[in-house]
Amino acid sequence: MSSLRYDARMRLGTFEYDAAFEADGEVVVLFGHSGAGKSLTLQAIAGLLTPAEGHIEIAGRTVFDRVSGIDVPPQQRNVGYVVQELALFPHMSVVENVAFGVPGSRVERHARARALLDRLGLAGYEDRAPGSLSGGQRQRVALARALARDVPLLLLDEPFSALDESLRRTLRAELLRLRAELGLTVVFVTHDLREAHLLADRLAVFDRGKILQFGRREEVFHRPASRRVAELTGVGNVMSGRVLRRLEGVLEVDVSGLVLRVEDPEWRPAVGEGVELALRAERVNLRRGAPEELGASNFVQADVMEEHAYGAGFTLRFAPLGPGPSLEVDLPSRPYEVLGLQERKRWTLELPAEDLHVMRPAPPEEGGGSGVSGDR
Amino acid sequence: MGLRSPRADLVGLVLLAGLGGLFAIFFVLPFLGLGERAASDGRVWELATSEAVRRALTLSLWTSLLSTLLAVIFGTPVAYWLSRTRVRGRALLEAAVDLPIVLPPTVAGVALLTAFGARGLVGEPLAEMTGIRLTFTATAVVMAQLLVAAPFYVRAARSGFAAVDPQLERVAYTLGASRVETFLRITVPQARGALLAGIVLCWARALGELGATLIFAGSLEGRTRTMPLAIIDAFERTSLGLSGAVSMSLILLVVAFVVLVLFRLATPDAPDATAARATQADR
Repeated sequence: MSSLRYDARMRLGTFEYDAAFEADGEVVVLFGHSGAGKSLTLQAIAGLLTPAEGHIEIAGRTVFDRVSGIDVPPQQRNVGYVVQELALFPHMSVVENVAFGVPGSRVERHARARALLDRLGLAGYEDRAPGSLSGGQRQRVALARALARDVPLLLLDEPFSALDESLRRTLRAELLRLRAELGLTVVFVTHDLREAHLLADRLAVFDRGKILQFGRREEVFHRPASRRVAELTGVGNVMSGRVLRRLEGVLEVDVSGLVLRVEDPEWRPAVGEGVELALRAERVNLRRGAPEELGASNFVQADVMEEHAYGAGFTLRFAPLGPGPSLEVDLPSRPYEVLGLQERKRWTLELPAEDLHVMRPAPPEEGGGSGVSGDR
Repeated sequence: MGLRSPRADLVGLVLLAGLGGLFAIFFVLPFLGLGERAASDGRVWELATSEAVRRALTLSLWTSLLSTLLAVIFGTPVAYWLSRTRVRGRALLEAAVDLPIVLPPTVAGVALLTAFGARGLVGEPLAEMTGIRLTFTATAVVMAQLLVAAPFYVRAARSGFAAVDPQLERVAYTLGASRVETFLRITVPQARGALLAGIVLCWARALGELGATLIFAGSLEGRTRTMPLAIIDAFERTSLGLSGAVSMSLILLVVAFVVLVLFRLATPDAPDATAARATQADR
């Protein structure tokens, strides 16, 4: 029995929405640009928005089904819902906020609220006004309030986006701890790639109202389903190529005149067919020596054209000496120094066959996808 | 804008201060006049405690309070709905609600007469079937006040509700609170300042209502003659005269002042104060 089964379709003006995924005792991250339909999804799960079609189950109970006409109101869906703005009730104290949804007598409700606040490190703040708390404290109050009713499912809509990075890190860790302790299923909306990577057990990549890919985190990050997913998940190198020939379990693909050997994917593209290759920027190896000395294939000599320093590491842009695509390489700062990249700018790049992921070419109508639809 | 000399600045300041001062004097003088007259005219206290004035005051107070109560009871759902709906033609509806604010009250009185008068749209069949006649009764006074004053409350309440973040309500729904419970526990407390302001405005307008009441309810001593009507009456007949008008005006002045002070005391966290606190907390 899944904690959440979700399948919904609707149309809002010109925006077409169609998404399906499931979550079961894990963190599912809905990732995508703003306006892609992520928040809409949470609202539909919480019952604040009615899809035109679909079926939604929470903890084994059908809460929405178009065909049988079931539409359980938000009051009875029993989900915790935290919005980006937190929406703490400003005229109530912290403990009253948390106790708001708890059933029972005032004493019981407040006892429950106090216990939760204590657990979230907010003991002593019970009688404060929400407006007098810091951003991180307010965040915890919102979390406590959402959890106060013993919910099996927690919906979080970019809850940390207004906080600074160090605080976000603490709160993410806290969220994962709470999730494990309470056995929660969490659906977490974010447009932050790092946050998605850190929190996700499974990941749904949203783009313009559709889920382009839903799968385990590593699967999505290393085996993107399409060029668009690769771009959205920051793969770094997405290259168009053509299959030259098929060897023993290996394809030879021509990318701008450079021949690369890649693993033959299950869908077995035909020889002559166009394919897309994805290679994460951190998977490219820098080697000394000429390509001929190093091995048979997947080496290319290139010069550093651009460098961007990001504190923890560098993003380098290489241009090949001969034919081939330009390549993006991520390198942590330590290897950057050890290898001596300050001085030496000409390298042989190795594109490991096992890290080169072969994707189907994008269908024409989906292909141009660089646009970000309006806020939603 | 070009450079301005300190001298030009000073002239501007003096000009502004002068304008403000004249305006203030204009507002203060009539009340000074009222006070001076009351002090010099020995009959003012005697008239203020007369039976006619006492009855007018009682009538004014209970009718204005009742019409305000009715405005709150019937106007609150309308105001909330107007603040949340996205129905087509909402602007038209809001204009219709605001209409009595703009119209002269005499028009409202005539309109009431054509609807509820003895030969009115509803008034005629009502009188035939039940024998109930609304005109020239205290009920008519309340109806006239309600029509003229309720829009002030609805207008204030509507903008008060509109200022409450709908996100708060939606989160309350997910926490199991019904729509009514959410409205009472979340929305109303948030809009408290605006609602109280609307109530005071509505009550003040009802208390001062004259034109619509005169046309629809008449000015029958002890039955429909409210304070404003009694003041008019004092001029027309010689019995009370200007002294009577002055004494009743003073009474209304005191009543209004006491209510306004009570209102300020009841809302220590008016919207502006709340906003100031919130910005402080953000720092």
